Amino acid sequence: MANGQSKTVRSTLKRIKRDRTLYLILLPTLIYFVIFHVIPIMGMKLAFYDYRIMGDSIFIGFKNFQKLFSTPNFTRILENTLIISAMKIFLFFPLPVIFALMLNEFKPGPFRKTIQVISYLPHFLSWVVIAGIWFEFLSPSSGVFNMILNSLGFDSVDLLTSKGAIRWILLASESWRSIGWDSIVFFSAIMGIDTTLYEAAKIDGAGRLQIIGYIIIPALLPTMITVLILNIGFFMNAGLDQILNFTNIAVNSKIDIIDTYVYRIGLQNSQYSFATAANLFKGVVGTVLIVSTHLFSKKLTGKGAW
Amino acid sequence: MKRVKKISLGTTICAVIMILIALVMIVPLLNILAKSISHPDMVSKLKGYNILPKGFSMVNYQVIMNNPIVLRSIFNSLVVTVGGVAINIILTASAAYVLTRPNLVGKKLFMYFFIIMMIFEPGLVQEYLLMKDIHLLDNLLSMVLYKSVNVYYLIILMRFMEEVPISLVEAAGIDGAGHVKILFKIIIPLCKVPLLTVGMFYAVFRWNEFFKSSIFLTSKNNTVLQVLLRQFVVNSDSEVIVGAANILANNHIAQLDNGSLKAATIVVAVIPILLLYPIILKYYTSGVLSGGVKE
Repeated sequence: MANGQSKTVRSTLKRIKRDRTLYLILLPTLIYFVIFHVIPIMGMKLAFYDYRIMGDSIFIGFKNFQKLFSTPNFTRILENTLIISAMKIFLFFPLPVIFALMLNEFKPGPFRKTIQVISYLPHFLSWVVIAGIWFEFLSPSSGVFNMILNSLGFDSVDLLTSKGAIRWILLASESWRSIGWDSIVFFSAIMGIDTTLYEAAKIDGAGRLQIIGYIIIPALLPTMITVLILNIGFFMNAGLDQILNFTNIAVNSKIDIIDTYVYRIGLQNSQYSFATAANLFKGVVGTVLIVSTHLFSKKLTGKGAW
Repeated sequence: MKRVKKISLGTTICAVIMILIALVMIVPLLNILAKSISHPDMVSKLKGYNILPKGFSMVNYQVIMNNPIVLRSIFNSLVVTVGGVAINIILTASAAYVLTRPNLVGKKLFMYFFIIMMIFEPGLVQEYLLMKDIHLLDNLLSMVLYKSVNVYYLIILMRFMEEVPISLVEAAGIDGAGHVKILFKIIIPLCKVPLLTVGMFYAVFRWNEFFKSSIFLTSKNNTVLQVLLRQFVVNSDSEVIVGAANILANNHIAQLDNGSLKAATIVVAVIPILLLYPIILKYYTSGVLSGGVKE
């Protein structure tokens, strides 16, 4: 027994020795992750300390977290994060599916191709550029949006400084950016449907709507479920890059999320340990969500996040 | 008898909606282009839905291109993008190669490590403190090294490398080729399309990145284009583009329409994306990144 074990150990060592070039090739990537991920992640233990610029930080246990959850501001920020995420996940979700269904109504050709090429493009623009475009579109003095309102007899409004509208603007600009790109996964699922199914349905006298309802949507269901579940895994990310560009003093209280909060109190106010506590809270909840949604999706549809 | 093809009401409604969506996406972009090349005296007549310029003038671009800070930021963005993508590709491809070798001891362990790295992101304060500790704050290298490997792309590359016939690799091994040679002479040429696609996505990410750049690159000399654009377009700080001296002198540059200058800066920031876009579409449609949700 002991002999057999040492034999496998020896053969393993032999294999490691044989593959030493491979480990050497992997080494730079490992070093990268250790320096830029592992070390800063370890550094997040700062959440349990009181940061001192001079001398050692002092261990204070969960005090930062107690302070965090008793801050009325943080409750509001948590609420903002959840509401904005929920809007982006559940209200946006059907749009790319509908877009893919509509795209499928057209035969392959220049029209369909043009729609695809144009609608995928916004996905590749930076949020800075998208914000520039939307500021122009919504401008009370010269924007097309207000021109339309005026021509319908309404007064101009500035939605970007409106507390009631700003979350809807986030949803709208996110949809503008992603409806085309996110439809790709559904469109290719539709393309994967066996065409004999359509022919059989036509022979049975099914119309377009019946084909969509009884063939296409059931075929899309697994993809829809996978996408929805995996998006829920990213619930804690309400869209930092977008919000940093769309925010202003008038509406900040409505769209201040955990990420913007960490940035503000951590880097702008230099409250390192307190900000790290908020960040760690987000990281832990986010990790639990991603892992559980991945496992759930894998079990349900066989497809996971990775 | 000729059969006239009837277009149904449903298809017509779909077509109208699709065209509207496409217009909402493309008109603002064309409008920005038109604004940036309109003549300064006539630009006020340009409405938000116009896609053709009023008159013609390149003065906005001349102002931008004569501003050393803008030129510097474009240069910096190119350095970060080109250098960063080079590191991205080298590390991602080499790691994917190693992790797809059969019988590698510890393969599972490495995969678990990489997936944990993918799920759990380091804290913002810690990333900042790290850059400070290794003296990369306000150094372009910080952004070149930032996000050197995207684990999701690594997994996609692995799926493609797994499909390279093992017999090819073994034959080369018998001929005395080492791993480095196999990687460069066999694997990389066979995985050109997925590598190129992944490289494009890395490039778009790097060119568009603004948040970490605004934190790590603190001095004016090291600003990247997106950060400058943000100061100008989002924070309405016209000094960065127009220049303090021009504003003080209130000369013809300072009197140019700010909106047109913003438009020209946006165009400059979007051009590299538009150059990559046709290539991305060409290869993406060959199904590379859909490997994430494989049928």
